[in-house]
Amino acid sequence: MWENLNLKQIVEYAKDPYPSIRKWLKEKGKKAIGSTIADVPEEVIYAFGFLPVSLIGTDKPLKKAPSRLPDNGCSLARSNLELALSYEGDLFDGFVLPQVCDTTQHLSDIWRISFPGKYVESYLAPRQVDRPSARYWVKEEIERLIASLSSWSGRSVSDKALNDAIAIHNENKKILEEIYEIKKQNPGTMTNKQFFSMVKLAMQVDKEEFNKTLKSIKAGLKPKKGKNYTDVILVGITCDPPEVFDLFDEIRLNIVGDSLVTGSRYLQGIAAQNGNPVEALTERHTRNGFFSPIHDDVYKHFEEVKALYNATNAKAIIYVHIEFCESQEYDLPDLRRMIRQEGIPMHILDTEYQTVSLSHLRTRLQAFFESLKGGSL
Amino acid sequence: MSEKLTSKQLSKKITDEYMEDAFRAHENGKLIGYSTAISPVEIFVAHDIIPIYPENHAVANLTAKKGAQLCSITENLGYTSHLCAYARSDLAYRESGITVTKGIPEPDLFLACNAQCFTLTKWFQVLARKGNLPMFVFDTPEHIMDKKARQEIVKYCVLQLKELISFLEEVTKKRFDYDRLKEVMKYSAQSSILYKKFLDMAQYKPSPISIFDALIGMAIAVYRRGTPECVEYYQTLCDEIQAKVDQGIGVLPKEKEKYRLYWENLPVWFKFSDHAKLLGSYGGVILTSLYVHAWSFDFDLDKDPLVTLAENYVSVFSNSTIEDRVEMAMELFKKYSMNGMIMFMNRSCKAVSFAVPTLKDILVRKTGIPALVFESDMGDQRFYAESQVRTRIEAYFETLGRLQADKPAA
Repeated sequence: MWENLNLKQIVEYAKDPYPSIRKWLKEKGKKAIGSTIADVPEEVIYAFGFLPVSLIGTDKPLKKAPSRLPDNGCSLARSNLELALSYEGDLFDGFVLPQVCDTTQHLSDIWRISFPGKYVESYLAPRQVDRPSARYWVKEEIERLIASLSSWSGRSVSDKALNDAIAIHNENKKILEEIYEIKKQNPGTMTNKQFFSMVKLAMQVDKEEFNKTLKSIKAGLKPKKGKNYTDVILVGITCDPPEVFDLFDEIRLNIVGDSLVTGSRYLQGIAAQNGNPVEALTERHTRNGFFSPIHDDVYKHFEEVKALYNATNAKAIIYVHIEFCESQEYDLPDLRRMIRQEGIPMHILDTEYQTVSLSHLRTRLQAFFESLKGGSL
Repeated sequence: MSEKLTSKQLSKKITDEYMEDAFRAHENGKLIGYSTAISPVEIFVAHDIIPIYPENHAVANLTAKKGAQLCSITENLGYTSHLCAYARSDLAYRESGITVTKGIPEPDLFLACNAQCFTLTKWFQVLARKGNLPMFVFDTPEHIMDKKARQEIVKYCVLQLKELISFLEEVTKKRFDYDRLKEVMKYSAQSSILYKKFLDMAQYKPSPISIFDALIGMAIAVYRRGTPECVEYYQTLCDEIQAKVDQGIGVLPKEKEKYRLYWENLPVWFKFSDHAKLLGSYGGVILTSLYVHAWSFDFDLDKDPLVTLAENYVSVFSNSTIEDRVEMAMELFKKYSMNGMIMFMNRSCKAVSFAVPTLKDILVRKTGIPALVFESDMGDQRFYAESQVRTRIEAYFETLGRLQADKPAA
């Protein structure tokens, strides 16, 4: 299903992966477990023989979710709930949902009550990572998830199965990282949309199959420098709808670094192989700090972004703000001030999952980059 | 012999002395610790750190209808209008100095417990950055229903409380006194029992207190728990309310008390007294909410103090599952004989409000009582539509009246 895709197909599948997931599950006789971002160790779900699918919203209209989550809820959370309530719920036998912010505080309760016939488990990653208790708690939660999946499915999982899953996921991230490097140095090789669609699809489909596609794509790449590209850093949690990447491509931006959960924060999640798998996944979580930028200290976030900007010699930072994401909104004024004080040009894109028109984003983006190049607004 | 103070006089005295002590903290070699309202503040008290609650200060300003003015100032700093009104009004106070009180002392350190919400952590982070001050996040994972998981959650919380003690020892360069903590816990346990007794007096008919009395009465439990004066205050308050009960004095006279109501969420602070009057004119009294019960802790003094602290703070209503919240509310419905419910969707408080639609559906199904749902903001008047709320309240009482009339006579 996903083992021999070309770039065009990857973009199409990433836009709507669900028909192919539905078909694949039927063919393989497997079950899918959905999870919302971030932190859920998908390797554990994979090791049980289930397909872990990251739920990353839909741009389809909201019909049922608003009666559960009001309009000041983050559009990603509302959109994921709608995806399961109205459009793709039949695909999933269960969900593992992390608690990361105020919007997600009771999300797993809402899902459990909304889907009484399905398996719904919380994943309560620590919302502090600098103290020893955080490591203790990550390990406890991973072990609880294993016990919970085992109790629900009637299956057990061996260290070997967990290590094999880690290996497949590591390989996926490694190839994606290698392709990213080629694209960063040679922006004419593939569009931003093609690359980030690749990462997104990797988070949603069977890695063993998709790794074959990635290897074949990497082998067939003909690096092209291209002309008149402006290197930029993309900062945020997710960047949706995918057409936002078309805007970047239209004005020839080359994303040379990012902090997205659906980008580098996913790629950085390589865990140690062949040892104690639970320890390896625990170590991965604490090493990475907060997998999502939601709990990051702003200074740390700023230092990371600045280092990325300097290391890549980028020309500007684009911050992707998800409408009604309070976690971003408490940090943004200080982050923006620090970035601007550093003399780094920064553009903030306000996005929403149900956005249908991107014309205002296009106009603002074009104006920002024209002024950056010395043009007039 | 001096005359015994009334609860109102006592509340003022305790508050004045507390604030005076807080403003003189540094002169007296003490530190100011900003704390979230629901947090194991007993550890602060035992370590001579004066707890200050920016939420309380925000409530004073929002009740005095300063919300829109203050929130606009914060929005001009780049913060969005849909963040918590407590946080927005506080950030504006820092910027402008505008307050209806004498203000609050500047912090030396922060304790953010996320059993209430995650917003407080983010808000305190903003303040901690300004002063480059130390902050401790007491992370309370949701108190999920799995019993084994709960034991593990408590263990994780106890580990963190030990880390909190080490953090405080490091900041203050002073050894923590566990015997003192036991003493503080004793006061906290006593005052919690009395506070709950006070709230539970709403079960009498007519009810001698409404939720508005509870909201005023809870203040001392929020900022002075762990002290002997807190115990004294609630003993005095309980005695006064009991005297009302003995005389049959209710918020409304017995014959006029038609609707005994449950309120979900925090109050609309700037409409506090208006709501009481409006509801009273229909024979309605709001008796209680899970919010006011959040401080009626049940500390077990036979247990390790850190264990009983962890168990109590992790299981507050805002950190419990929706199913458990339903059970908690159902217990109140039965105990207080309530026959109506107002479900407030508070734009400021996503953590509490996003559970409300689901909670409402289940409560309506379980009780057979219709619910009034309205959306507004606890502190920002720009999100309050007076005529809409009034119309909904009127329509709701018509519905309740019709249902009562349709009921066969007993």
